[in-house]
Amino acid sequence: MKKQNALLTKLFTYTVFAGPVTLAFFTVIIIPFLYGLFLTFTNWDGVASNFAMVGFENYKTIFKDSGFIQSLKLTFKYVIFTVAITNAVSFSLAAILTSGTKGQNFFRAGFFTPNLIGGVALGYVWQFFFNNILTYMGKTIEIPTLQASFLSSPGQAFWALVMVAVWQYSGYMMIIYITGFLNVPKDVLEAASIDGAEGWTRVKHVIMPLIMPSFTISVFLTLQRTFMVYDVNLALTKGGPFKTTELISMYVYKKAFNERAYGIGQAQAVVLFIIVAIISITQVYLSKKKEVEA
Amino acid sequence: MNKSKKVLSLLLCGVMGLSFGVGCAKDPAVSSNQNQTSESQSAANTDKAGQGEAVKIAFLNSKGEIQAQLENMAKSFNEDYPNITVEIMPCPVGQSPTEILTTMYAANNTPAIVMLDPADVAAFKDKASDLSDEKWVSDAMPGSLDTLKADDKLIGFPFAVEGWGLIYNKAVLDEAGVDASAINTTSELEDAFKKIEASGKKGVVITSADWSLGAHLFTTAYSGQADNMSDIKAFLNGLAGGSTQIKDNAVVNGLLDTFDVMKKYNIAKSDPLSATYETNPEVIGSEKVGFWFMGNWAWSPIKDFAGDNTAFGFIPVPVSNNEADYGNNHMPAATTKALILDTAVNSKEQQEAAKTFLNWIVYEAKGQKGLVEECSIIPAFTNITLEINDPLGKSIQSYIKDGKTSIGVMLSNKHWGDVGAAMQKYLGDYSTREELFAEITTYWTSGDYK
Amino acid sequence: MNSSKKKITALSKLVILSTFFLLYLGPMLFVFLNSFKPNKEIILNPLTLTGYSGIQNYISAAEKMKYIAAFGNSLFITIISVGLIIFTSSMTAYLFCRKKWVINNLMFYGMIAAMILPFQALMIPLVSIYGGLLNVLNKWTLIYMYIGFGAPLAVFMYHGFIKGIPLELEEAAQIDGANSIQVFTKIIWPILKPTTFTIMILDVLWIWNDFLLPSLILIEAKDRTLPLSTFYFYGTYSVDLGLMMAGLVLIITPVLILYLFLQKYILEGVVQGAIK
Repeated sequence: MKKQNALLTKLFTYTVFAGPVTLAFFTVIIIPFLYGLFLTFTNWDGVASNFAMVGFENYKTIFKDSGFIQSLKLTFKYVIFTVAITNAVSFSLAAILTSGTKGQNFFRAGFFTPNLIGGVALGYVWQFFFNNILTYMGKTIEIPTLQASFLSSPGQAFWALVMVAVWQYSGYMMIIYITGFLNVPKDVLEAASIDGAEGWTRVKHVIMPLIMPSFTISVFLTLQRTFMVYDVNLALTKGGPFKTTELISMYVYKKAFNERAYGIGQAQAVVLFIIVAIISITQVYLSKKKEVEA
Repeated sequence: MNKSKKVLSLLLCGVMGLSFGVGCAKDPAVSSNQNQTSESQSAANTDKAGQGEAVKIAFLNSKGEIQAQLENMAKSFNEDYPNITVEIMPCPVGQSPTEILTTMYAANNTPAIVMLDPADVAAFKDKASDLSDEKWVSDAMPGSLDTLKADDKLIGFPFAVEGWGLIYNKAVLDEAGVDASAINTTSELEDAFKKIEASGKKGVVITSADWSLGAHLFTTAYSGQADNMSDIKAFLNGLAGGSTQIKDNAVVNGLLDTFDVMKKYNIAKSDPLSATYETNPEVIGSEKVGFWFMGNWAWSPIKDFAGDNTAFGFIPVPVSNNEADYGNNHMPAATTKALILDTAVNSKEQQEAAKTFLNWIVYEAKGQKGLVEECSIIPAFTNITLEINDPLGKSIQSYIKDGKTSIGVMLSNKHWGDVGAAMQKYLGDYSTREELFAEITTYWTSGDYK
Repeated sequence: MNSSKKKITALSKLVILSTFFLLYLGPMLFVFLNSFKPNKEIILNPLTLTGYSGIQNYISAAEKMKYIAAFGNSLFITIISVGLIIFTSSMTAYLFCRKKWVINNLMFYGMIAAMILPFQALMIPLVSIYGGLLNVLNKWTLIYMYIGFGAPLAVFMYHGFIKGIPLELEEAAQIDGANSIQVFTKIIWPILKPTTFTIMILDVLWIWNDFLLPSLILIEAKDRTLPLSTFYFYGTYSVDLGLMMAGLVLIITPVLILYLFLQKYILEGVVQGAIK
């Protein structure tokens, strides 16, 4: 009797606090996901009225698809560089901009602006920058490496993508780090400095643990965004020159819609999801553990 | 779709039932039927009350540059047919019309008229209405309907004919003493480039976009194979089946020889892959080069830079040094945009209204005027005699009139993606001709071409 | 000695910041300056300060975008969605943080995993269900979907920061007889202010600029948001850069103002927290 009551209270508490989110989460994400999962076992092309069940056929084709593997490797390289550079830059910016520099509000707003330009427009602006402005500058001040466009050489186009991603995401992550820094209570800092914990020691032992949540969130978000990047890839390089910058989302997308192999495209998306989920949940789990220890 | 809907409903019920204990008594088949009717009712209801048979139809436009003109056409159509309202929906950049249409079908919210690339038409054959008995079929230009058929049904309306080749700026050519109409071999083209360079300008600009290289430039070699569709098809089937080798083909090699010459006199020679479609119009419009490989859609961006100069035209890309060879005098042209009419979601009245709109375009003076003079579109119908206003369209139109067009070959997205990428490598000197052939052969044997 | 060293540090900070600042703001500035030029001038002279055609681009962009109506739609959808995300997610995160029930952990990690789902993988199933099956494609469905898509990140962020709040505060309140809802609204909610404003900024930014989801859900022309109405500037083979840039400025200005405005509150929130 008492046990049942406890369960009811639990259920009541859950519904009041987490009910709406749970409902929306299930109906907007989980159910469509399961339906999508079902479609990976069919040969549906996305349009036709009829389709047949094909078992694991779609999944088998993925591992034979050298394009998929190649694109995945390229994406890993892109993710590693972008995540590392973005977080280093945004952490530093946040540290400087919460240390009482003159005009920090003004600066924060400035670093934040890249987030305001979205998708396709952003691509046009940067394409213009790389193809016209940078080369124009290269010719005027005679720097040979700048005279050819970054976007036209297969090696450099990749770095152009990384650069734009860092530029775009670091302002966003900076905000999260700033929130973290602001959550460090002033008295903690004061106490630390009285104890003689100066400089680096202070950062390491006092501040770092307190902004660990920001770290967890930012690294996770950059991981997620860079793995899933599509807009900028499309607008800036369209995968070119000659498919050397075709990141995984674009590859999957083209498979599903341009080649009208919806079942295979969806199966590739599921495989990608599993890979990224393993990586990021491990990351979150490890850093949450660190948070607790700290 | 019905099958997938049932599965979906079951799934939905199952998960709902498990997680929230909600019962699910609705019969999925019934509910989907209800959707169908309520869909068409709501579409009808949104119209002004009082006009008994008011019909509202939507038109998905994938040619963004004529959005405003199409809206004007819809308005003047509404003056002639007050009970039919046509709403023009633009198709956003970065999303292909097929992708949008795919999601629209999933959502049961499909426009009555959809503008597609011909290569995508066949995918929607289950949903598109059979237009074989329409009046305009007999007035369509020969060949313009070839790519719009599936299973012996005609499912597409040829909305626009476009041609592609070397655009020239006559002012530059005159200054260098070059007569465009006399160029019909590779070496004559090279001479022209040389003369232009001697006059202090550059010969040509090549847009490095994969769609331009893959879908238009390289397919010129397919067009040059023969003057009839069945021979071209036989050639393509040979490539797909492996019985024909691309590297042995004379037209392909001839075209690439010309391409080599173009590469040599390219204004962007030092960095060929940086030449983009957005900035190339400036180069030809403001007289920095004599030629640009592109199609007649490029007039409106060129116009911005050409000022009062309207002396522009086309010549075909030569494919050999023998001026009598087929491709040297013929411009590839094809139906590049087709309209399909939906039957799966739209009501009978809406489908009829859509057909009325198409007939209005082909046969009514206002419709013809809107299409040709306002949208600057080359019509695919022989009964329309109006002349287009822009010089590039005019040039293609005169090739059509003289019977000097070849069949533009429109293939799948994968074709231009793969071949376009291979051509980019070749353009940027990242690969040799042998490697280019190997990559193109890989596409042809991949099974994409059916 | 010490003060001159401080001055040097401050100066070098300022130099570094300014350099970065220019790099970051450059493209924005470029957009702004060129938004007053006709397309031709942008291609020919992107960097010069000449060739301006006044606010012509803005007038025709606003007209083409149906700016007022689209602005109203964007505002309505953004405010309601962000409000609901914040309200529901903060409570959820609080529960997940304080009660270590199995279902809570499952949901929490499930939500993190869901953030990694590529949207394109959900796109077709989503419209099949809400359009094909339920036939409820309208702005309320869109708002509901924003809760589903936005809650995971918001819960994740709140979770991280609620964890840092000492339990003693709540225990004291509970001894005074407050129930869990009161504890949440009276004790936790005020402390979360900086986090709330941050989430607010990030979510406003996302929803205000979102294109793909509304393009699938808002099928009535009168419901179009700002990003949806701007795609009139793009053609298959032609882009009017001047119009596009003016349109861009028109879209982002409200968000920029909001950011500047909220920033002040984020700082104030922290100061208040420190006084307590």
